[in-house]
Amino acid sequence: MEKQKSITVLTPTGTLGYGFGAEALARGMSLGPDVIAVDAGSTDPGPSYLGSNKPLVSDYSIRRELKDLISAAHKAGIPVIVGSAGGAGTASQVDRTVALVRSIVSELGIHLKLAWIYAEIPVERAKAAVATGDIVDFEAGAPLTAEILDETCSLVAQMGHEPICAALDAGADVIIAGRACDDSVIAAYPIWKGADPALAIHMGKILECGAFSAEPFAMDVMLGTIHDDHFVLEPGSSKRRASVKSVAAHSLYERENPFSQGGPGHLMDLADCSFEQLGERQVKVTGARITETEDYYVKLEGARLAGYRTICIAGLRCPTLATAIDGLLEEVRAKAIDYFAPEEVTITFHLYGRNGVMKELEPAPPSGHELGLVIDVVADRQELAHAVCHQISGGLLHYHYQDIINPSGNLAFPYSPSDLDIGAHYEFSAYHLMKVNSPTEFFPLHLEDL
Amino acid sequence: MSSKPLREIADIVRSKNAGPYRITFDIMFTDRARYEAVRDSGAITPQTVADAYGIELSQISSFFKIDQAMAIKVTIIRPRAQGAAGDGDMYGCQHHVPLMNIAVPAT
Repeated sequence: MEKQKSITVLTPTGTLGYGFGAEALARGMSLGPDVIAVDAGSTDPGPSYLGSNKPLVSDYSIRRELKDLISAAHKAGIPVIVGSAGGAGTASQVDRTVALVRSIVSELGIHLKLAWIYAEIPVERAKAAVATGDIVDFEAGAPLTAEILDETCSLVAQMGHEPICAALDAGADVIIAGRACDDSVIAAYPIWKGADPALAIHMGKILECGAFSAEPFAMDVMLGTIHDDHFVLEPGSSKRRASVKSVAAHSLYERENPFSQGGPGHLMDLADCSFEQLGERQVKVTGARITETEDYYVKLEGARLAGYRTICIAGLRCPTLATAIDGLLEEVRAKAIDYFAPEEVTITFHLYGRNGVMKELEPAPPSGHELGLVIDVVADRQELAHAVCHQISGGLLHYHYQDIINPSGNLAFPYSPSDLDIGAHYEFSAYHLMKVNSPTEFFPLHLEDL
Repeated sequence: MSSKPLREIADIVRSKNAGPYRITFDIMFTDRARYEAVRDSGAITPQTVADAYGIELSQISSFFKIDQAMAIKVTIIRPRAQGAAGDGDMYGCQHHVPLMNIAVPAT
């Protein structure tokens, strides 16, 4: 393909459905972007979205924002790329987003070519890869096993840019991709147009969070333009600017190693990157290098159903409770475990005002005049979790302790019912790398003319 | 020698998930002299960070001084995976306080 002089990517927001300014989109579109590319998911909201297949963001918000983006892109004659559709990028989340696109296109009365790309990994295929030694741990701390895979109810892999480029080859105007490496979503179009992959992927790493790399930061429009040997970042809204500080800061965000980062089929070397201020609002970035890895690995993300949860929220106000509470919680926990034995339950006390956020990592001494308690019970069935949670909350309510001054009740409940069934509890089961035969092997492309 | 908590010297002290099994901390400066003073003070090291959180040094998975970004980056292994039963901070974004309270020699 003949190489373009420069390629501009418009990223409307850090997560599709989290919003962007109308002024910022209008101004961004006036700068003539070549593509709109946006990420719609992450593991950050936790394993529930992967395990349950429920969407991270409401259909309402996705529809509202995708309609604006598809409409703007259609007028400009440029494609729209969405990665990690639905939050975790599972097949049913892709299907849900695809259904929204069909409805939007119909409402707008336009015609376009829709592509969607799944990112599901068949569990049997992953088990075969375990058997042949083609799966290695990433950071889970233990090897992936056939047993863990048998428990896994949802398994996806992060695609690189190649499956998205295949959709562009097919002439797609709107691409809804399942789980994808965040930077690949941004980098795909520039790479497809012949840009340096090192620059495109580095730009993707910064642009994927939208105007989080600008100041003041926000979920808003950010643009990146790739030239021969550098790229330039600029926020869509004229009320924001990109600064060396804001961009350099974002290069560190949500990643462990600032100098070296692996991705699907490649290793990025960012040790010699530099950032240069251009005028008030733009930053020029240079220096990323890339090496293709000998084998092509994709990152697996799996979730398993780990039980059902019931919680109870309560406040504690009496100062005599503040000194007694640690002992009381251990007593009611022991009683519950004894009462329900041999059932296995996991009981957690989140004691806000003490160590609710950081648990054993909390170094600060107790302070404050009130405490917030969340009793959190996970069991293998909902009714058991509920029974245990209520046994604890009811027991704690009327528990006697030394120095008690108010024997009529220890817990201030904001709600009736006091015990709330939260439903399924999922945990991550796979966070490993799997060797694949080709970058597109597990990411099938589907096309539809709308 | 007098000292100040890190939060009075650094511009940003933040924590965030880096994947489901790590929490990464960034200490960032807008002023090179302040950055270099903290970087070279010996107050922020893998050991002092481990001590601030009451964890073993082996739970510090990496530590970087990043001169071009005027930042220090340290990453810990989560005591329990993100979203596992008992986790109290799904995004890992409220774990920065013991770090920002570490005493650093005042210059």
